[in-house]
Amino acid sequence: MDDLNKASLVAVSGMKAQSERIRVVSENIANADSLPSSPDSLPYRRKVVTFRNVLDKANGNSLVQVKKVDVDRSDFPKKYDPQHPAADSNGYVMSPNINPLIELMDMREAQRSYEANLNVVGVSKTMLSHTVDMLK
Amino acid sequence: MAINSITDAIAAYNTAAKSVTGAGSGGDAAATEGAGPDFASMLKEGVNAAIDASKKSEELSKQAITGKADVRDVVAAVNNAEMTLQTVVAVRDKVISAYNDILRMPI
Repeated sequence: MDDLNKASLVAVSGMKAQSERIRVVSENIANADSLPSSPDSLPYRRKVVTFRNVLDKANGNSLVQVKKVDVDRSDFPKKYDPQHPAADSNGYVMSPNINPLIELMDMREAQRSYEANLNVVGVSKTMLSHTVDMLK
Repeated sequence: MAINSITDAIAAYNTAAKSVTGAGSGGDAAATEGAGPDFASMLKEGVNAAIDASKKSEELSKQAITGKADVRDVVAAVNNAEMTLQTVVAVRDKVISAYNDILRMPI
């Protein structure tokens, strides 16, 4: 297989990994208000993705893959809301350990990385196509 | 100089033909007698590669319509099929135009 074709395969793996990251970020944003239902249960815990490098044996490429969707083990912030069914005896409710600003930055980073990989696909395709056009 | 570049092109073509049809099947005898059968088999292999790539891309496109395949895989497969076909067509056109040039050569 041509090196430029391989390059676009690698970039496609990066795009897949970043899409999965976007999915996890969207889960976090959507669940930012998922509070517990009772005082002894826990709210939604923030998820984080980790990536790893895998060897594509067929072509000898180093691809990227999502290693694991792990959880953020930081403490849950408490919010004063005595009317809530999950409020403890002091009137505090545990809320998800999600900071929307961090999620937005994470999403932006995933978007930029996706675009970079998309550009690699485009550039390698253009280079290959221009090279073949030399025959015409 | 001109003769050299023509022989270089023929040598490059022979290497391409051998790499596609498998070393030893064409042989030097065929290359010196005329590249007819070699070119045919090379083209056949090339077209088969293009057909395989298109089949794969169509299969993935079908799966994508039903939501089973990754859109990025479809894009990669369709791109690959397109490039393979373009390459085969470009090589075919080039060799055929060279062949026509030889036919039209005044003797």
